[in-house]
Amino acid sequence: MKNPYRTLGVGLVAAGALFAPVAYFVINSAPLTAMAIVSLLVGFTCIALASTRPYISPEASLVLLQTGMENIAALLEELALRNKAIYVPSSMGDGKPKAIIPLADGATPVLKNRVPGRLVVRYGSRPDEVGIAVTTPGGASLPLLRNSLGPGDSQIESALSYLLVGVLDLATGVTVTSQNGQLNIDIRDPRLHWENIWYYRSLGSPIASMAAAVTCEALGKPVRIKGEAVNNRQARVEIEVID
Amino acid sequence: MRIYNKYVLSLLLSLGISNVALAAAGQRALDVYIVLNTVVYLVISLVYVYLNPRARSLLSTIGFVLIGAFLVIAGMKAAEVLGR
Repeated sequence: MKNPYRTLGVGLVAAGALFAPVAYFVINSAPLTAMAIVSLLVGFTCIALASTRPYISPEASLVLLQTGMENIAALLEELALRNKAIYVPSSMGDGKPKAIIPLADGATPVLKNRVPGRLVVRYGSRPDEVGIAVTTPGGASLPLLRNSLGPGDSQIESALSYLLVGVLDLATGVTVTSQNGQLNIDIRDPRLHWENIWYYRSLGSPIASMAAAVTCEALGKPVRIKGEAVNNRQARVEIEVID
Repeated sequence: MRIYNKYVLSLLLSLGISNVALAAAGQRALDVYIVLNTVVYLVISLVYVYLNPRARSLLSTIGFVLIGAFLVIAGMKAAEVLGR
């Protein structure tokens, strides 16, 4: 895979290294020598950035994501599950964050049992309180977070910004506001949009899934994606906290 | 890679503007340019707090090299003043 940062960096370093002695000793100009030093500095920065690009190409990552999503979508479709998934923090499960899709329609489920690390799980005491527990893109992205999560809006916003803007480069900014047990997460310039497909209707888009996983892990409570909307290059994810 | 593009662009613009401003002010001492470039580099790198951890650690290494150059220049200036 050709890396444009490395090409740019090598070019700038070569230009700076050649021009700096000429500017200093021949032309005897401090401003021009300084510009040659800037060229060296930015060149080394570009080379450093080039070595931090992912080992596998974005196309390969997309193929892996698509495969996992289509398998889960086939399972949901086969079982005719239309309920919205409940994101469960790792503390309420087997140490890994999961999402449970309840089999029974109706009221908001109350999670009473710990979620075991299985596909079919019983989350309550009633016989119909059974669901499918799946790993989501959000849950899988949590290990990428560097710092521990806190329950405040600003802490969730900071963690999501780090994840979506810095590490995954899926958006340009994140804002989190909360009211009445609901968090509204505004994501600027999202790269993966919501589509009207079975998987997204149940588990949310990958970006909403990450927002939900970070929120539930930060609050230590189950959450559900209440809605998603894209308006003028900004996506809004509404997350309902389930007590 | 939009955040990398923004970072490199911010770095180029701010370093370029600061050097042009110094040149326009008639500054001829190279150490002044190096000190200002170091400060600008560190500030811009600090603003981009959301870069991934590996990128941050590599940029910190470049920052340490620049701080070393800054300290050498400061030390030479101090020795020059004390030697008078």
